[in-house]
Amino acid sequence: MSRVWASVVLLIALACAWPAAKPAWELPPPPPRDAAVVQEGRLHRETLANGVRVLVLEDRRLPAFALGVVTARGAGVETPDEAGVAAYTAELMERGAGERNALELAEVVDALGAGLLVSSDWDAIRAQVSGLSQDQEALFDVLADVVLRPRFDADEAKRVKSEQLAALRQASDDPVTLLSWHLAKALYPGHRYGLPEVGSQGTLSRLDAAAARAFHRRIFTPGSAIVFASGDVETESLLARIRATYGGWQGPPPQGLGAPPPVPDARRIVVVDRPDLGQAQIALAHGGIARTDPRRLDAQLLNTALGGGGFSSRLMARIRAEEGLTYGISSQFVQRHQPGPFAVFTFTRVPKVGEVVRAIVEELERIRSDPPSPAELARVQSQRAGQFALALETSAEVAAALVDLDIYDLPPDSLDSYRGRVRAVTPEQTAAVARELIHPEIASIVVVGPAETLRPQLEPFGSVEVVKP
Amino acid sequence: MRRGRAVVLLLAALLVASAVAAAPFQDPALDTRVTTLANGLTILSLEDHTTPVVSFQIWVRVGSGDEARFTGLAHLFEHMMFRGSEHLGKEEHSRLIEERGGQLNAYTTRDQTVYFTDVTAEHLPLVVALEAERLANLVIDEETLEDERQVVIEERRFRTENDPQGRLFEALLALTFQAHPYRVPTVGWMSDLEKMGLPECVAFFEEYYAANNLVVSVAGDFQTGELLPLLERELGGLRRAEHIERNPTVEPPQLGERRATVHFEVAGPIVAMAWHAPATGHDDAAALDVASEILSSGRTSRLYRALVYDEPIALGAAGGYWELKRAGLFFAYAQVRPDAKAELAEARLLREIERLRDEPVTEAELAKAKRALEVGLIAGQGSSNALASRIADDYVAFGRVRPLEERLAKVRAVSAADIERVARTWLVPGGRSVVQLLPPPAAEEEPGA
Repeated sequence: MSRVWASVVLLIALACAWPAAKPAWELPPPPPRDAAVVQEGRLHRETLANGVRVLVLEDRRLPAFALGVVTARGAGVETPDEAGVAAYTAELMERGAGERNALELAEVVDALGAGLLVSSDWDAIRAQVSGLSQDQEALFDVLADVVLRPRFDADEAKRVKSEQLAALRQASDDPVTLLSWHLAKALYPGHRYGLPEVGSQGTLSRLDAAAARAFHRRIFTPGSAIVFASGDVETESLLARIRATYGGWQGPPPQGLGAPPPVPDARRIVVVDRPDLGQAQIALAHGGIARTDPRRLDAQLLNTALGGGGFSSRLMARIRAEEGLTYGISSQFVQRHQPGPFAVFTFTRVPKVGEVVRAIVEELERIRSDPPSPAELARVQSQRAGQFALALETSAEVAAALVDLDIYDLPPDSLDSYRGRVRAVTPEQTAAVARELIHPEIASIVVVGPAETLRPQLEPFGSVEVVKP
Repeated sequence: MRRGRAVVLLLAALLVASAVAAAPFQDPALDTRVTTLANGLTILSLEDHTTPVVSFQIWVRVGSGDEARFTGLAHLFEHMMFRGSEHLGKEEHSRLIEERGGQLNAYTTRDQTVYFTDVTAEHLPLVVALEAERLANLVIDEETLEDERQVVIEERRFRTENDPQGRLFEALLALTFQAHPYRVPTVGWMSDLEKMGLPECVAFFEEYYAANNLVVSVAGDFQTGELLPLLERELGGLRRAEHIERNPTVEPPQLGERRATVHFEVAGPIVAMAWHAPATGHDDAAALDVASEILSSGRTSRLYRALVYDEPIALGAAGGYWELKRAGLFFAYAQVRPDAKAELAEARLLREIERLRDEPVTEAELAKAKRALEVGLIAGQGSSNALASRIADDYVAFGRVRPLEERLAKVRAVSAADIERVARTWLVPGGRSVVQLLPPPAAEEEPGA
């Protein structure tokens, strides 16, 4: 080794050994430790002859498991006239199945210290049991009853309808809920997305046991179903039970996706008049992208920089940290089977609404004219890749994320490739989606608050419609 | 958000199951190590290498219950802690954590202020350096106070003034406690938020953010042998306070029922009631917890059956024991359906409370409630964040980490007679405070309102 090289090596060694003179925040971040999402040999996937997809993720650290059946169709396939039937069906599936009525079903689940949950959203209905591994057989049967043999008893159907109608009235007290309902209506009039996911007073009052039974038959069908398990399960014996129970399941072919919503192409400004409020709820929104859009990752990174990245995003930095105008502001691409909106949500004191709307519009314009620089993009890439590890700490979280991919027919290795794909996005790509997907000039503006004070503040942005809650 | 919640439920359910497993549950918190630095700073460290995540928390022993003149000071100050220090600009602390994929936030209660950061293990040295920087070199100036005052005012409007439940809860606490500082909302009264000045903030920091008033709690993927010297180096130089002032007021006995009405723009009323109950650590706590479960846990609970299922009066009803450091509450509430009357809901809630006093609960109810509690206790072990919170919460309240087995044993020992006894002791008619939140008077007269 030459003396020059020896000196260089010595210098490097000294630099490494020397106590850091700089504070930790001035040092380059340590290299990421990308642990595998799923350990080798723990995940089993197969598709049964009738089309049921099966996913088992074995993790025996705790004597507990979760088991579920998801159908990849939800409120999004409802017609506007039957809005709410998915949520209604899901609730009724919990209220009696097989030989047990609602209370008997609740009792058997409680007796095992277990959980039973059937939930719905725009794109799926999920039925799930969880509990001790020693109760796996009993809970397997409960789930099979709930999914394959729900009762839809007439008296429970009446009870649930009455509860959901009352809940809908009560939900309209909440300014945030009102905002989401009126925003949907402004963006998607006439389309299913224009009504609340849980339905409206008009559509809910038409629902009954027969409607729920028919909807269940329509969407719980082998070709749309994903059976999943995670936790303390013995893969081979569980697979045998799954094949025996769900392998003979017959049903209609999967229902097609709901019609895509019209693309909103003009600004509407709607004030939902609540004279009692001292703080207004604000949304700015226009059309966005579907969950399967090839630009979704670019859009996610762009949005992280804009308003989806917590305290450091542009909107939060300006409107909360610099100007003190709100407690919280965020933006998101709402991604469903069909394109959902791109939306910014915030709130502020009533006299400042015009100022906040102006600032949001300016930030949307700025993300187009001044898209994330290489340094800003690198920060959000690191943020997203790091959050990924925090979000997938447990097998249950990993299983849920894998099921989510199946719901949208996305590549099954999407989790493994996620961090690499995030880091590969270029500033040109985020600049391109900023131009393609952010359109402040046509963004509709919906505000919940006192119309008298709000109207003059919003008129500079266009013609204002005032509606009752 | 929806998906996130489902995951939490699933995780909780998974952990629940282990509570009743045949094999004894290994309480991970038993390995907590307690270290006290020369300046009085306490460090709780709990190594757990299950996942590559670590939660770093600072628990400051100050909450709204310590405020003397300006209410909301503890909480407003929590916001100021993110607004820059000598070497870092506004919000830079948050940016540095977030751009590494970490999550950070803070909250204030009546008894303490908690700052937490969850990161993957390789970023722990940064977290420690950032905490040391703001504790030693915080910048408190007029400009940041003014910005953050407005943010907190918006938070108050969002959580309380525009929210019926927020309004109701605020009224219930102010009615139940007439003298004790717990009567004050943690976010503070609006007029105080508007007037609070820089001198109060500076004095507050000097008094309460001293090393001997802090508990650092770390759980997850780290090496104790590396962490403790790092903390000694970074936090060992923080100043110590000779004296820390505490609010001395004690609530005098309540001498009769108290009632209040709050009018708000709602479709359906909300009814809530509260009784004084013991402070945390009392011998009656386990029985009060079991009573809470019997009232509120699941579709087979008494309040769900009585007010939601058997007779459709409410959309939801629940009750429970809320233990704080210096006093406690037992409460019950019902979200009344728009087509039902508040008076009926109140009567049904009271009937269920009276049943606890007047007749023994069944053995089946007792067994189910105990299992639900076991589940809840074990579900608290789910993540590094939950573990760090549990050990800090215990240490701040009791000066030690209570083994899970000790808490489970207390729950298992509760009998039907214990529940009757604590209900007769605490849930007395003359100690009751009742708040009805109703639609505005004019709207009440309209049919169907």
